[in-house]
Amino acid sequence: MKTKRLTELSLLTAAALIAFIIELRLPDLSAIPGVKLGLANIFTVYAVYRFSCKEVFLMMITRIFLGALFSSNFSAIIYSLAGGILCLGGMLLLKRVIPANYLWLCSIFGAILHNTGQIGAAAILTRTPAVLAYYPFLLVSGCIAGLFTGLCAQYVLKRLIRRKTDQDNG
Amino acid sequence: MTKGVKLALFAVLIIFLGALAALVFLRRPAQGTWVEILQENKVLYTLDLSQEPDRTFRVELPDGSWNEIRIEDGTICISDADCPDHTCVRTGKLHSEDIPIVCLPHKLIVRYCDPPEES
Repeated sequence: MKTKRLTELSLLTAAALIAFIIELRLPDLSAIPGVKLGLANIFTVYAVYRFSCKEVFLMMITRIFLGALFSSNFSAIIYSLAGGILCLGGMLLLKRVIPANYLWLCSIFGAILHNTGQIGAAAILTRTPAVLAYYPFLLVSGCIAGLFTGLCAQYVLKRLIRRKTDQDNG
Repeated sequence: MTKGVKLALFAVLIIFLGALAALVFLRRPAQGTWVEILQENKVLYTLDLSQEPDRTFRVELPDGSWNEIRIEDGTICISDADCPDHTCVRTGKLHSEDIPIVCLPHKLIVRYCDPPEES
């Protein structure tokens, strides 16, 4: 891996972590567990469209582990991992079908898959299928949050591409 | 807009509307007054809220962690707990048939149930 790419990935991971920690400090949007904006997802979707599978995967795993460390909530890491891996896998596949200017669509799928993975892990690991009652809530909130984070990432990506081409021309 | 994008957009719309419909459908208010408290799918308590006096009690797990349950004017909520996320406490009072109070770290559930059969 080239140093420049490594630096870029580390920077993105750090930025995602900051977004994650800021979000922890915000009051909960709803009493339902798992309903949140997922600001860190902005960086993940962005990375999905800029880096290779392996690179994004490394970034995601690093973020989840460090995020669990910083939020001192290690019991939740298995849910984050289940959601994260499903979300990332889905988005990496969808990237082949959905071009960058419909990035928000990919992000919505990512959010849906993330919530699916989390609630699936919760239902299986705790052997309490009753938590599935939250699933429709999570889907609706996930669609909205995914749209928001996806649009954020899309604007960033657009600007970066424009700047890059300006540099090449100048 | 390519065919793939159209298909994806359609799928998202279906999921969103489906979930929304499920939400409306699931919003059933409480019908009975019987409530059960489960821990790892085992029923610990079955209570009739209309008969219960106002009180606060603790549900302790074998490993010493606990949830504090409060019954007040025929409503039930988890008032305190030593779990890391406190989601169960923030859920507030139990008010829907289909949405239980869940404490994932302790695998504890408070939900409405059918009245037990008279024997």
